[in-house]
Amino acid sequence: MSKPMTDDSFFEKLSEATQPADGTLAQAPSRLKARVYSALLSQQTASGPLLSVSATEASGRSLCVFEKAVEVLPVGEGIKALNFCRVCHARVAAEKMENAPIYWPHCPYSEFQNR
Amino acid sequence: MSATDHGNHHVSEVEVPPPISIRKLRVMHLLSRPLGGLLCASLVFPAAEGETTRISDLIDRGWLCRIGGWIFLSNAAQSAGTEPRTALPISDDATLVAAVLRRDRKATAEFLSLHADPVYTYVRNRLIPRTDLVEDVFQDVFLAAWQGLAGFRGASSLRSWLLGIARHKVEDYYRLKLREPLPIETEEGEPLPLAVEPEFDEAVDQERLTEKVRQILSTLPEVYSLALLWRYWENRSASEMAAGTGRTEKAVERILARAREQFRLRWRDE
Repeated sequence: MSKPMTDDSFFEKLSEATQPADGTLAQAPSRLKARVYSALLSQQTASGPLLSVSATEASGRSLCVFEKAVEVLPVGEGIKALNFCRVCHARVAAEKMENAPIYWPHCPYSEFQNR
Repeated sequence: MSATDHGNHHVSEVEVPPPISIRKLRVMHLLSRPLGGLLCASLVFPAAEGETTRISDLIDRGWLCRIGGWIFLSNAAQSAGTEPRTALPISDDATLVAAVLRRDRKATAEFLSLHADPVYTYVRNRLIPRTDLVEDVFQDVFLAAWQGLAGFRGASSLRSWLLGIARHKVEDYYRLKLREPLPIETEEGEPLPLAVEPEFDEAVDQERLTEKVRQILSTLPEVYSLALLWRYWENRSASEMAAGTGRTEKAVERILARAREQFRLRWRDE
């Protein structure tokens, strides 16, 4: 049903009627999420070491195959706390391409994909 | 063990051989994965001190199998110690924030993954027609969130807190744009009264309505679309807008009147 409105009430109703509901959220592009994730890790490493991959796994979170390889190495926690994603080809691909072809599990860049 | 036995073992049917540690099993699993389970025995079994494992023992126990002279990890060994987990576990806000503050990389990914869409939707809808700015503002929101995360007290949900940061970032941009010199037409006189009052059909579904609004806002001069978004979608009064931009309230009202006029003309013509 149509009804005439004036100025403020028209725009107020319009804004109310166009507030996005949870089900109608736009998906953030995967390459944008990848870039922001890389930026967040850079900021985190600038102010201190990351949680080591061993401690990360111990807290119940899964590691990707490359992190796992580091986790089982007989090296100190300092090494295991490095930001390995920084030198990973998956990061480069995910930041440049939408839904980059990354298929191994537990890689954050793979998890950001909108598939 | 014959070739046909390969892959027929289950975790429940076999026993972990004592000399093999979970760590060594993981190494075996990682090394064998790209080769379909094929092992390089000399790499995996350098027989560390105190370990007396023999390949034949492991074959007997079902952890390895021999096929045509090659040694493979059985399915049972491949699944040991590598129980499946969900990739990004859903945490409550306080747990997630604490983990991100510990610089847990996976928690940081979860934090971003969980809240990216609402923040992105909000920023995109509030910056029409400047879609080119959406990604920069989106990134600023999450970087600012990391900077201020230690101050998150849980008074509201993490999503609301993030949307609050997004709102500040968007309003920073509104303030910047409305401080700039306006188009000449905006500075001159009062807008003409509209001959036809706008109509608003509440029965139109939200998706179509939202699209129509987006479409119209994207065709308005930027200062008009931002003024309308700020006033009506962000619920700021003209005096608040004036205070934020250094303009007089009357000047803001004039911009809003022009913006409404242009919007309604396009609304009628759509």
